[in-house]
Amino acid sequence: MKLITEINQKDNSEQSIEDSELYLDKIYEPNLRKLLSKCYQCVRCSGVCQLSKVQSFVPSVIIQRILEGSEDKVISSGVLWDCLTCNSCLQNCPEDINFADIVRNAKYKMKNYYKQNPEQFVAHKGIYTTISEILSEPYIQPNKNLDWVPKECKISDKGDILYFVGCIPYFKFEFQEVDPIPISSLKIMCQIENRPIVVLKDEVCCGHDLYWGLGNFEAFIKLAKKNYDLFEKSSVSTIITSCAEGYRTFKVEYPKLFEDFDKKFEVKHIIEYVYEKLKQGKVELKAPDESDINIQFTYHDPCRLSRFLPKSNNLLEKLREIFNILEGLGYSFKEMTHNKENALCCGVSSWMNCNTRSKALRYSRLLEAKEAGTTLVTSCPKCIMHLSCLQKDYDDLSSIEIKDFSEFLVNLIHVIDSENNGEVKS
Amino acid sequence: MTKAVSQVEKEDFEPYILVFCCNWCSYAGADLAGVSRFQYPPNVRIIRVMCSGRVDPAFVLRALKNRADGVLISGCHIGDCHYISGNEYTRDRFERLYNIIIKQLGVNEKRVKLEWVSASEGKRFAKVITDFTSEIKELGPLRK
Repeated sequence: MKLITEINQKDNSEQSIEDSELYLDKIYEPNLRKLLSKCYQCVRCSGVCQLSKVQSFVPSVIIQRILEGSEDKVISSGVLWDCLTCNSCLQNCPEDINFADIVRNAKYKMKNYYKQNPEQFVAHKGIYTTISEILSEPYIQPNKNLDWVPKECKISDKGDILYFVGCIPYFKFEFQEVDPIPISSLKIMCQIENRPIVVLKDEVCCGHDLYWGLGNFEAFIKLAKKNYDLFEKSSVSTIITSCAEGYRTFKVEYPKLFEDFDKKFEVKHIIEYVYEKLKQGKVELKAPDESDINIQFTYHDPCRLSRFLPKSNNLLEKLREIFNILEGLGYSFKEMTHNKENALCCGVSSWMNCNTRSKALRYSRLLEAKEAGTTLVTSCPKCIMHLSCLQKDYDDLSSIEIKDFSEFLVNLIHVIDSENNGEVKS
Repeated sequence: MTKAVSQVEKEDFEPYILVFCCNWCSYAGADLAGVSRFQYPPNVRIIRVMCSGRVDPAFVLRALKNRADGVLISGCHIGDCHYISGNEYTRDRFERLYNIIIKQLGVNEKRVKLEWVSASEGKRFAKVITDFTSEIKELGPLRK
């Protein structure tokens, strides 16, 4: 009979360890100074740092200390766990120093070499990050509930277009606000496409929170591999997602791991998808009813769709064009004081640091929203959860209606001419 | 032949089971089982919490992540809670955990369980543990 301890020691085989190291090299840079060498201390990053407004956190000083050789002290102090990774600093950096990337690499170091426990920084006692970690294990095959799929939508497990739902089914545990996002996104897609859309039952998390939040790159790599295999198996060519974090991860992070990810799969956000269909003349937007005319809406730019995307990606301009069309039809759209790349942070990213300080950030964001309009549209499920969580505490803010982009658009879309190829796959 | 081999493997497998017991009922029940010398499998590790309401769903998930093959939460019967309504919270929370997370996670639903055991039910505690352990043994290890 084997002892329990013996069974526990049976871990990964050596081969898989080597394999993951190969991938790890692609996303992990152990030498932080190398990433920072261009810094000439203009201190812009500290000026724009959103976190510095609510607590003492000075990126430029941290950079300087690392450059002076006290990287060890900076990392062992654990100060970098506090960073929101909102990327405001990169947006304003003249030398394009990616501070969030340094934080990400440092988090891996802090976790693995300095044995720091990030548990005290993780929100909700780490329940959602633990789910991601469990999903990354090779022996786990999720069995997602597909009861939410609207009746008029045809779905299959093989086909061209995939809708990536992401973690939203798990968020339902505490957040009901995000429920309508997959439903309305799928409704939009079903109306436009005639063929069934792929929604996978065994789809896993994209790994964003482990990558940016916990610095658990091993689990991130495992998740990425799982996703890659799943996409390949269902022979999809286009991946559409309504999640800002998932979009950014597929667009930027996965191609780093798999060289052919870009060529094999085309990743689109639901905004891009709707925009393309508008341009192709397949859909049009409806004019408002009388009851809708007074609705003033505004848009909260999630960091993952604004500052985190490469500059060549003009997703936000596409979105503003859609809003322009809506304005032409009679809706009133108003920008918040801080918008696009300068948008304020929702206060939490990757389930890290939900505390009184980040709450202050959220409060100031919602105050801006209240000034701008009655409906707040955004495209990040996390932003919706964080902002509507704050609304419960403040009566003066509870009048703002927070909606996802797809939820906002689902009733405004009218399909002109659906493709009648006659080739409807079963 | 293969059947025989797999049977041996199954018998060979000793599951690692985590049990959360509330201080006032289930832990006393476990105590009673010990004092009265009711036998139950030694695969369980008992963690005493003051109330089953203390058990955060994150604890259950973390246990599953860290190689536990099964997790059992045990508290006072509804209405008997030392803190009046602690176990009612547990019941509601567990229901959500079970239906929304565990069922969709791909971990077999049988691996997570909620049971009510009172301080006088030493025999029942031993039975609950024996049944749960044999169920987990039947399922095999979570980490294959």
